[in-house]
Amino acid sequence: MTNLKTRGFYYKVYSYLPVIILFISVLNEFDFNYLNLEYFAFNFPFILIFYFTIKEIKNFDYLLVFLAGLINDTVVGLPLGISSLSYMLICIATSYFRNITIRPNQIKDWFYFLFIISLINSITYSILTLFFSYNLILMDYLVNTFFTFLFYIIFVNIFKYYIKGLND
Amino acid sequence: MASSRDDFIIAIRSAFLKKSTQQKFSLLTLVSISIAIIILSSLELKAIKYLKIGINEIVYRSSFVVSIPENFLKDTFIEISDYTTFFKDYKKKKDELSDLKSKNIFSEITQYENKELKELINDYVSSSDKILAKIIVDHDSPFLKSIIINKGSKDNIVIGTNIYDQSYLVGRVIEVNYKTSRVLLLSDLNSNVPVTIAPQNIQAIITGSGDTSATIKYIKDGVLDNFTDKSIVYTSGTGAIFKSGIPIGKVKIVENDDLKSYLVDFYSDFSQLKYVFAEIITKTDIKKTDQEISSNQKTPIDAKLKILEDELAIIEQSNLKFKNENESLKSQINDLNNRLISFENENEIQKEKIKQFNIDTDELEFLRLNLIYSRKCQSRKLFSTGFEVGTPEYKKCILNKGKKND
Repeated sequence: MTNLKTRGFYYKVYSYLPVIILFISVLNEFDFNYLNLEYFAFNFPFILIFYFTIKEIKNFDYLLVFLAGLINDTVVGLPLGISSLSYMLICIATSYFRNITIRPNQIKDWFYFLFIISLINSITYSILTLFFSYNLILMDYLVNTFFTFLFYIIFVNIFKYYIKGLND
Repeated sequence: MASSRDDFIIAIRSAFLKKSTQQKFSLLTLVSISIAIIILSSLELKAIKYLKIGINEIVYRSSFVVSIPENFLKDTFIEISDYTTFFKDYKKKKDELSDLKSKNIFSEITQYENKELKELINDYVSSSDKILAKIIVDHDSPFLKSIIINKGSKDNIVIGTNIYDQSYLVGRVIEVNYKTSRVLLLSDLNSNVPVTIAPQNIQAIITGSGDTSATIKYIKDGVLDNFTDKSIVYTSGTGAIFKSGIPIGKVKIVENDDLKSYLVDFYSDFSQLKYVFAEIITKTDIKKTDQEISSNQKTPIDAKLKILEDELAIIEQSNLKFKNENESLKSQINDLNNRLISFENENEIQKEKIKQFNIDTDELEFLRLNLIYSRKCQSRKLFSTGFEVGTPEYKKCILNKGKKND
């Protein structure tokens, strides 16, 4: 059985998969909103960026994350640069967390993720309401943060298989 | 204590500045660029605007392509849920259709009347064309309710263009690119629409609530109780942001415990939109005559003078008319007098003639009797008892048929 690394093209695509998924998710905004479940919303790019930057995955370039943020702003209709700033703040937080952590722990990561997304959503909310006079519902932000936090642990378990495949 | 602070600083410095082998830019650089972009985009510089339009065009098209699989899933899901309520909906729609058909006739008449009245009020005729636009991106974000359509400045779309689903208002354009535009839906929190609520005829502003309904705002205290479930909400046209008379939805009364709240239930389901109509409005000035143009350019005093002059001219004209009428009446009276005189003359002549005729008749009778009775009445030379010819007594005797005494 041939290894992924020996098959150059497939390995390259596989190694870029998180970035590809990130771009698809920002372009597509898949969030299952059409299910019309009240209050149900989560921010998939946050989970993806947090996980893959904390793991310092190869090819998960900050510049590409930054560009994904610009695309997200364009698609959603937010002022250009807001999402990029949010994504960059996640990258800074994960980079700091990686530096201070000696023994990584999934539960610790999970709660650190909650703290970070709460902080970033607060910053975004403040910028949009104070500087851009947007009318936003705070409850929606809180619910979004909560569901993103809940879904993190589910997606982490899926991403583990990806990393396993990458290392093999 | 000092060492832990040093660790923190080192960790922070490392997070901001250290680039790993794969990274081309440090995070500090990217954060700075992000902040710079936020500031520049809020300044609305022309160069940034064009750059944004370019990015929008590419991203919207890419988003449309990337969304195809998800849209397929979404459509399938909607179709399945539609099939479950198909028959019920069909019966309901059939009833509604027959109702609407009858109402449509009245609506058309009202539209014509409305157009006619508007032409009378305004100095321009507002003609509108609705162009069909496809929704290329409709991500139902919990924070912003907007859609992207495949029509832009190329198709004469401008900021503020009204967007319809059939004849119902769904929103207005807030961002225009060359071939795409962003439409802010009425359900968005930032959407405010001046409306009239019929049949109570109450003016209000509705604001999107972020879901499928809108809240009624800026309304007089006490009038809320007048609303019923059948109250219709349509645009009032105040502020000239939206055209007047476009249906939006119906008032929905929600009762929680003892508290009643009034919402607007939109006619259109924004989550089911696939195609919409964009209304392109062109204003055509009504052609004025030179006299009208020159009269419009005058000052108010001139205008008043002009009115007075016009009034005077009208009075003079009517005076002249009366004078002419008077003259003609006078001449008629003269004619009639002349005719009367001529009739009188004729009458006199006739009378004379009759008189003459009567005289002639008496004379003739006298002559006839004279022939018979002249012997009896004439005086003879000897022993005569008659009268001398030509005397009144002779004549009397003749007329008495020879009798000399009565």
